[in-house]
Amino acid sequence: MTSSRTLTMARAGREAVMWEMEQDPRVFMLGEDVYKFGGVFGTADGLGEMFGADRILDTPISETGFIGLATGAAIAGMRPIVELAFIDFIGVCYNAIVNLAAKHHYLSNGQVKVPMVLMLGSGGGYNNGGQHSQALHACLAHMPGMKVVAPSNAYDAKGFMHAAIRSDDFVVYIGHKKLSGVGFFGKPIPGTMSEIPSEPYTLPFGEAKVVREGIDATIVAISWTVHQALDAAEKLAHEGIDVEVIDPRTLVPLDRESILKSVAKTGHLIVADEDYQSYGFTAEVIASVAELDPTVLKSAPVRVANPDVTIPYSRPMEQHILPTSQRIQEAVRRVLSK
Amino acid sequence: MKVTIPNDQWDEGKEGVIVTWIYGDGAEVEVGDVICELMVEKIQSDFVAPASGVLRILVEADSTVEPGDHVADIE
Repeated sequence: MTSSRTLTMARAGREAVMWEMEQDPRVFMLGEDVYKFGGVFGTADGLGEMFGADRILDTPISETGFIGLATGAAIAGMRPIVELAFIDFIGVCYNAIVNLAAKHHYLSNGQVKVPMVLMLGSGGGYNNGGQHSQALHACLAHMPGMKVVAPSNAYDAKGFMHAAIRSDDFVVYIGHKKLSGVGFFGKPIPGTMSEIPSEPYTLPFGEAKVVREGIDATIVAISWTVHQALDAAEKLAHEGIDVEVIDPRTLVPLDRESILKSVAKTGHLIVADEDYQSYGFTAEVIASVAELDPTVLKSAPVRVANPDVTIPYSRPMEQHILPTSQRIQEAVRRVLSK
Repeated sequence: MKVTIPNDQWDEGKEGVIVTWIYGDGAEVEVGDVICELMVEKIQSDFVAPASGVLRILVEADSTVEPGDHVADIE
């Protein structure tokens, strides 16, 4: 009997993939650098050796081709997991994602299902320039026909990976590079790692988690910004400000009721997101609360997101635009001082 | 049993880092369990327990290590 393990997000997600592949011969993985290299973000580390080249398929850099292939395989009864690495490149295969994978279920009048998982690596903060640092999850969450998961910690990473693979729907699974615990992106953030049961378990899509309880203001955050919000909450607590932090965990479906419940308690809403500000997650959350019950808001809600500019390569300039703890703290103070 | 970074883990003269300990200090581990992740030149590798027993961590995560370093004991 061994003790419980503390796992990074990359390792926890991979454990779920391994378990599902061992149990279900329909599950296979394909994508760039998965077989030999183990995935750019460690998502497939060791799987090539374990399952062989027939089930862990290295593909050319031809995203439209292999997402189309996976969609067809899913329709034919397989359970593909596609590793696309950087979310920045969904542009080259947007048609395959949006018009094939996400639409066949509806267009066939429910006769075919597309049970596939698309894994994407998101986010910046390690000065990798404007084409390798974007969040872009709103570009997927905006579109009907897919679930969009963006876990912020290892426990959720494993539970949602099991759920995504077993789901009969097309699920986009977004991992944040800086949360992955892959050393390349810096020291793992302690809050992302936790004790993980070795048994499989699933988590429900569309159930937000209150990661910190508070009464003065609500911060809704997703993925990397959850950890920025928690840091902000800790700093604000020294000033006697007690904020609540909510992690929706899945962008689609979005747990609007839990967000509303929290804002009804605190009266103030700040939304933190690493995607571009305009037309994004921040706007969706604020609009949802305003539509459901505008009377709960005692102040104008605030968006703390990346401004609508190309993410700078320069580290100080990039740090300036990211939705950091500092910016979240300033937003909370501003809201509460009015 | 002493847990040391194997001499052939990476090329001589290069420094590695313990990225993370998967089991905490005092945890029961079994031979073959991955107990920590190492990184050298941006490449990560698993480090497995050479014996079964109670893990005593001597070198904290995020520390630099070299082949031959004594990083833990398994009692």
